[in-house]
Amino acid sequence: MLGFLTARQAGLDDPLRLRRAESTRRVLSLTLNPDREVDRIHGNGINTIDIEVIEGRYMLSGGADGVIVIYDLENYSGNLQYACKAVCTVGRSNRYVHKFSVETVQWYPYDTGMFVSSSFDKTMKVWDTETLKPAEVFEFEGNVYSHHLSPIARKHSLIAVGTKEPKIQLCDLKSGSRIHVLQGHKAEVLSVRWSPRYEHILATASADSKVKVWDVRRASGCLFTLDQHNGDKSKGASEAVNTAHNGRVNGLCFTGDGLYLLTTGTDDRMRLWNSATGENTLVNYGKVSNESRKKLQFTVSRGSSPELVFVPCESSVAAYALHTGELVTMLRGHYNNVDCCEFHPDYQELYSGGKDCNILAWIPALRAADVEEESKSANQAAADQSTVSTAFQDAWSSDED
Amino acid sequence: MELSRRDRLSELVEQLTTSGEPQLNQASMKEIKKICKVSNDCIDHVYHSVISQLNQEHAEVRLSAFQIASELFSRSHHFRTLLVDNFQEFLELTVETDSEQPLPPPKEVARKLRSLAIQTVQSWQTSYGAAYKKLALGYHFLKQVKKVDFQDAEARTVAERSREVDRQRKMQRIYKERVEAASKDMEESYQEIEATLTEMESCMSLLFPEFDVIDIQTTNSSPPSSQPANECLSVEEQPCCSKDLKDDGREGMMQKKESREEKKREEEEEDDNDNEEDEEEEEEEEESGEEEEGESLDEHLFIRNSGLISHAYSLDLNLSPGLRVKETEDNEAVVSTVKDLHRLITNKHLPAVQGWVQVFTKSGAEQQLLRRALDLKRSLEATLQKHQELHIDYKTRVRKVMKAASDGEEDDDDDFDEVPEKEGYEPHIPEHLRAEYGLDPSPSTSTAAVTNTPPAQRPAAPPPLSSSSSSSRRLKRLTEEDQDPTCAAATLRHLKQNLPLPKQSSSSSSGPSSSQSSSDQKAVGAPVVPFGLDLYYWGQEQPNAGKIVKMSSQHQFWVPIDVDEEVENKELLAESRSRYISFPGSFTPVNHYCSASLGNGKLCQRQDRLKCPFHGPIIPRDQEGRPCRQEDRLREEQEKRRKSEEQPDWRDAELMRDIEAATGENLGSDRVGKKGKGRKKKYPNLSDLKQGANTARSRLEKKVLNKSSMRRIAEVMAKADRRKHDKFSNQFNYALQ
Repeated sequence: MLGFLTARQAGLDDPLRLRRAESTRRVLSLTLNPDREVDRIHGNGINTIDIEVIEGRYMLSGGADGVIVIYDLENYSGNLQYACKAVCTVGRSNRYVHKFSVETVQWYPYDTGMFVSSSFDKTMKVWDTETLKPAEVFEFEGNVYSHHLSPIARKHSLIAVGTKEPKIQLCDLKSGSRIHVLQGHKAEVLSVRWSPRYEHILATASADSKVKVWDVRRASGCLFTLDQHNGDKSKGASEAVNTAHNGRVNGLCFTGDGLYLLTTGTDDRMRLWNSATGENTLVNYGKVSNESRKKLQFTVSRGSSPELVFVPCESSVAAYALHTGELVTMLRGHYNNVDCCEFHPDYQELYSGGKDCNILAWIPALRAADVEEESKSANQAAADQSTVSTAFQDAWSSDED
Repeated sequence: MELSRRDRLSELVEQLTTSGEPQLNQASMKEIKKICKVSNDCIDHVYHSVISQLNQEHAEVRLSAFQIASELFSRSHHFRTLLVDNFQEFLELTVETDSEQPLPPPKEVARKLRSLAIQTVQSWQTSYGAAYKKLALGYHFLKQVKKVDFQDAEARTVAERSREVDRQRKMQRIYKERVEAASKDMEESYQEIEATLTEMESCMSLLFPEFDVIDIQTTNSSPPSSQPANECLSVEEQPCCSKDLKDDGREGMMQKKESREEKKREEEEEDDNDNEEDEEEEEEEEESGEEEEGESLDEHLFIRNSGLISHAYSLDLNLSPGLRVKETEDNEAVVSTVKDLHRLITNKHLPAVQGWVQVFTKSGAEQQLLRRALDLKRSLEATLQKHQELHIDYKTRVRKVMKAASDGEEDDDDDFDEVPEKEGYEPHIPEHLRAEYGLDPSPSTSTAAVTNTPPAQRPAAPPPLSSSSSSSRRLKRLTEEDQDPTCAAATLRHLKQNLPLPKQSSSSSSGPSSSQSSSDQKAVGAPVVPFGLDLYYWGQEQPNAGKIVKMSSQHQFWVPIDVDEEVENKELLAESRSRYISFPGSFTPVNHYCSASLGNGKLCQRQDRLKCPFHGPIIPRDQEGRPCRQEDRLREEQEKRRKSEEQPDWRDAELMRDIEAATGENLGSDRVGKKGKGRKKKYPNLSDLKQGANTARSRLEKKVLNKSSMRRIAEVMAKADRRKHDKFSNQFNYALQ
């Protein structure tokens, strides 16, 4: 660490280097930390969380009981110990609350004054954060599994919506209407994602085990369909042509730079695709247990040198190296299935929500105190942690000798 | 050193967990702790072995493993970290957080494990929850998601509790409904029951007069001379029952109700006419009267009143304890009503009332309802009791109603009802049935019938059995039938006219009874032989016996040339002339015993005719069971020798093992001795899970679903299938199967 710092000071290294080294260390040391807690507001499973990108301060969470909660993640108290407070809640008593399970929540990418939520009550609501009232309600024919706003779009403000219908709806926030339909899937659309690199590129994943990539400017059809065998006919059966998975595809995620696309399916596989060509990179992540019938929200770290994929895997969150497929760690802490996880890019923190109603914060472990500091901090630490440390001490009774 | 410690640890954990006891062995536990104290590696090892034991599908193993874990949890930080890291699995295995992974049997131990685990988790949470985040999370998970109530001693989950509440509510609703239905029912039938009771009451008072206390008082106060008259009157006022009362019964009743004095007097009055004693009494009375002339007026009054000479006079009364009411024509209606009412009460009202009482008590309904139902029940039971005390002698009233009906209308179908089925021609017709057959009543007239008596004359001799009008009608019909050639009567007539009756010839010669008996005597000796061709052609030459006539071709003109139309068959010829009579002889029971010695001093008691299944052919033997003949004895000895050679003495398993131990060579003792002996149970202390409940179902299953019977059934089914296939394989709908 000191070496990095001096090199940085001396201008020997690229500034990115230190940053990357430190963030990599932090990402790799993610752990369940008693210092950070998230208030338990949800009385039911948590389906989705989203952290806004402007300040990185507020987090949205949507529960299976229709409740939406906004948390403040920023710790201004100065203490290490911090419990993320719920800033505001769209609870069951709110008259605008979703009737059924909220499947997706997302901040408006440019302003925290607005967020969008969609639910199994067949509606998608655009909320005003200040008043907690929906500014716009879109209604659909089927349950809404997923929606997404492009994080970089300047030229359009489209929300792509995947519902129980095989058609993908495009809703325009400007006009408040559904302006477009993308046809091509044969079953319900479980996940939709805009590319973080090109504002018109949209990827959709469906229960017909296909993943299609669209250019929304082109009305005629999709750009291409991801094929797990890369067009090699001999490997797959005839019906497996152009399928991304052998089961329902319920998770989609672009890497931070938008060059790669990750998909997960109920065939317990995760695949990495080149998002420009649609080529399967054939990275083997091993078995990624996945039984969800709904959307699975997973995330990719940003800024670390081997990028990590955090994907819910039953009651734990598995962290894989993106390009090698190596399982780095299993973050175990939930007591029931994990449905969503979100990476905080600024602080290298991970938040995960599961059916056990917990939102767990995975915080990088602090670097162990260096040798010089130890002398002065020893006393203080002893005083501070006298209460806690008893718990960590062995208590062998003397009569066992 | 390290390795031996590990082995020792594994051994200890296994020993502790498979002990099957609810508490850990303190000595072993202490040893584990001692070893664990040495290094974290040991704790690692113990942790893994404990977790693997926790994964066993046996609640007792799990319980013991959990106890080890909780012992170590409070001791070692390292163990805590390990366990908390894997806390999900730990909870699944001990608290049953995953509904798809229920705790294994036995059930009681599983329940105990669960409650113990929940308590322990709570105590862990209070002492370590702050330090171990995951522990706190697990605790909250249990508390908030699984809704485990840590205060609840039963450690039930919220689901169980809500289920309980639901059930109670449901039961309450059901009870309420029942109570409502029952009270409604009671309202409806209360009147009816009351009516029944009063009816019964009055019927019984009709059958048997009530003597109330008031009655007695009035009779006592009334002048004694008029009292018996009164009594008689009251008895006679009851139209039907006084006669039915047997005397002793009445006396019993009297005894209950009246004073002793009156009773005696009445007895006197009743009996004075026919008793010889009475005369004596009279004399005595006179004597005493002479003697005690000057005695008090009371005495006289007493004598006058009672007709008894002295107070000391004793009378033996034969009192039968019960009452007895006999059904006669006079009280028939009342008794039948009583009977009906009794049946009504026992079959309908009493069960209904009992049901209500049950419903009311079970559901804790209003006291009033319950009291009412109880009152009803009590009165019904009292009535029944009373009825029983009456001891009514019911007449057997069989088909009385039927009789009345048949009296009213004349239906000649009734007469046909009891005629037994007869088939075929009967040459001998009993005298009293002749009319039924449409024959003349007597044999003398039947001879006349042979000589073509016109049927029109027959009604002149009407059969005495049935009423005249119906029989005449029937006869008329019969004569009509005679004309009809298709009916049986015409055939009968034809037979009658054409066949000479054998009976008549015999009866004319020597009387029917004697000839009958002589022929009977002959029939006893002679075998009964079915009629056959040989009898038909008895003593004659059969024209074409033993010849087989071959059917010539049915074709018009295509006839095979070289076919003999007739073939002689010697066998057939012989058969038609002779007859086989099989004579099996008579069964003679076996009287001899096998009587081979059984080794225990007894002789074999089997009674086989030729050969005993155990001791071979039956031969004459002496008292000890030895064969009498020399050759038999030799044979038996040989047999014995052969048998002993088959299983020589030295192959005794024990002996062989000894020899093996001594010489170190394998003689195969385990092969000999271990025949059919099952493998020893690995952990004898654990309760056996495989030992299925000995239920009727399991026993049946064992019988029905055992391998051999299944195989047998499968074979039979396959055979049936195959047969069908063989038969119908060329038919498409069977071939399709």
